[in-house]
Amino acid sequence: MTATVTEPRVRGYHLFDGGTGPHILVSEGSLVYAIPPEVRELFEDAAAARDETAASALLARFGLDVSVGLDEAPGEVPLRSISLAIAQTCNLSCTYCYAEQGDFGGAAKLMSEQVAHAAVERLVDDAAAGEQVTIAFLGGEPLANRRVLRSATEHAAARAVERGVRVGYSITTNGTLVTPDDAEFFARHGFAVTVSLDGVGAVHDRLRPARNGRPTYDRVLRRLEPLLSERRRTMNLSARVTVTPRNLCLPETLDEFISLGFDSVGFSPMLSSPTGADEMAGTDLTAMLEQMTACAERFEERVGSGVPYPFLNAVNALREIHRGTHRPYPCGAGAGYMGASADGELFACHRFVGDDERKMGDVLTGVDPARQLKWLDDRHVHRQQPCSGCWARYLCGGGCHHEVIGRGRPACDYIRGWLHHCLCMYARLREKRPEYLDMMARGR
Amino acid sequence: MEPIAPRNLTAQLAYRARGNPPGTTPASSVGNFYPGLELDLRNLWRRVFAGIELHEAVALVLAVDDDAPPEVQALVGEILLTVDGHPVWIEVTGPREPGGASESLGNWSLEWSNALADIVHKAGQEVRCTFTKGDDDQQDVSLRVRQIFEPGPEGGEDARTAVLSRELAQPGELTQSLCSPWQNDFIGCGCYYWAASRPDYVNVEFDEADGSRGHNWLQRDRTPATPKFYTLRQADLLQHADIIAGWEDKLSFVLKGRDDHDRDGD
Repeated sequence: MTATVTEPRVRGYHLFDGGTGPHILVSEGSLVYAIPPEVRELFEDAAAARDETAASALLARFGLDVSVGLDEAPGEVPLRSISLAIAQTCNLSCTYCYAEQGDFGGAAKLMSEQVAHAAVERLVDDAAAGEQVTIAFLGGEPLANRRVLRSATEHAAARAVERGVRVGYSITTNGTLVTPDDAEFFARHGFAVTVSLDGVGAVHDRLRPARNGRPTYDRVLRRLEPLLSERRRTMNLSARVTVTPRNLCLPETLDEFISLGFDSVGFSPMLSSPTGADEMAGTDLTAMLEQMTACAERFEERVGSGVPYPFLNAVNALREIHRGTHRPYPCGAGAGYMGASADGELFACHRFVGDDERKMGDVLTGVDPARQLKWLDDRHVHRQQPCSGCWARYLCGGGCHHEVIGRGRPACDYIRGWLHHCLCMYARLREKRPEYLDMMARGR
Repeated sequence: MEPIAPRNLTAQLAYRARGNPPGTTPASSVGNFYPGLELDLRNLWRRVFAGIELHEAVALVLAVDDDAPPEVQALVGEILLTVDGHPVWIEVTGPREPGGASESLGNWSLEWSNALADIVHKAGQEVRCTFTKGDDDQQDVSLRVRQIFEPGPEGGEDARTAVLSRELAQPGELTQSLCSPWQNDFIGCGCYYWAASRPDYVNVEFDEADGSRGHNWLQRDRTPATPKFYTLRQADLLQHADIIAGWEDKLSFVLKGRDDHDRDGD
């Protein structure tokens, strides 16, 4: 899994072989085919020569050139998902926090009930009967404003029933303030609960200390007991690990969190922090790719023999590869998804709260279409460099907007290396467990 | 050389078999239902009722499941008359010739996708179906309507997808009647649907007093000596088997409206 295997050579395809024979990923449409060795040779020659004309001609010759219409920005996209920075304050002081210890570099603020209800109405009222919308509670630490969180949830639930709209709820929390009553509340409303945990024990404590410097790991696990032991099937509990150079012990972390009972565990590299602290650099990302690959090998071994192993990065990658997900954006930020600040202003996502350049409107007047159109046009992967020449552009989408704007694209080799490994794993599981892939592709 | 094999879902959707033109992918489908050019969607209705198999175009029970209850087993060969109170096999009446008196033209099956549109919404429920052996004897049997679409990952309003239910057709059934599409269409689509290549009425002679006289283009016997009388009697007409097996002998070039010319001559 070196850069030489996955570096972009031609923009139209990527060749891979995970031990089940040669395969090709066709970028447009994210199409995956098994190909005969003699055909692979032709594609390999064109890629080695970096000959775009020959590469395009080969795709056409073998009928693999499918036009999927990704050139245009999508235009005005209706709002279907909103995050509420319900508490722009936090009781932890994580070194790398994009929200700068919760307050986004400004004064600590709690979202008022009035603003939270206006945000809910903006979202639910704009949806048609039968549609699904999603409300995410973020911060800071959202449970620092429990009263408004609950009030907004109940307001959304009631309003959704009136209008025939379905609402999904999620919360990302540091876990330190969860009470048994919260667990009951989350289960009742079918929350997807994500807890930020950066490792096991002292590893976590180094990165995610309390404001007073005290460790938090044991406290978080104690607080999560009601969620882990008594949670209903209606609720989903995930662990999210932000990977920095100081917690590169991913297989152990994954095993431990899965054994604790989390429904899924996912890793995300710290690529851009406000102070530069704990950002991942080149060799760190190489080490992370090795560890992610080790995690994926555990995942594949278990899934291959029918044992669940909820390693979120692998599950998501396989789902997207099997579906052939192809998109010119990394996520829905600034499109169907907006982040609302405690004041009720709308931003391209939760990470851009307080960034006036990425302000998209407010919850009372809604999304400003001109700003949204400009954002979607600017951020389209065809306008990103070096993305437009990369085979992975429609699986990656160009990388997190916030990280790219903050730091550029230091992780392309890591992303391509991970996708390459997942493509190889996909080809193997496609032989061994096709029914698993079909089942997974139907889920969200 | 081994084939290029589509592995993921978008590749399967976009797949073009070697040698096939671009117009052979599902996305370029011409959605002609009778029988269609890529799929014969009439076949979807054959197994719409659990326990029995219908003809794709006629309200006739062709087969029953081995494990069906006795009252269902007895339905083989019977005609389905009504479904949930709506007729699917009806007597057609009208004039046999222009200006003629209205009379019975026999019984015909209604086209399934229109006739059964209402019961699509009753998937999973039982509906009352009336059958006959062709005599006056009729019997009612309740049959469960199968799912038309595969269920989605979630219940409630997401319970349906756009994927046709696997219960409705065995692999290959949606295309099995397409092996001879043009022959199928030449028989199925009359009523001046076609341009010159498949006329309805040939060898026509006009008479000021009596109007026109000529042959049905599908008439078996249409030589210059054959009396010119337009017939719709099935016994007089070419059937699927005739035209599939021997179209070269049975059909002629239509030149200036005539196909009763001497085939050995010029």
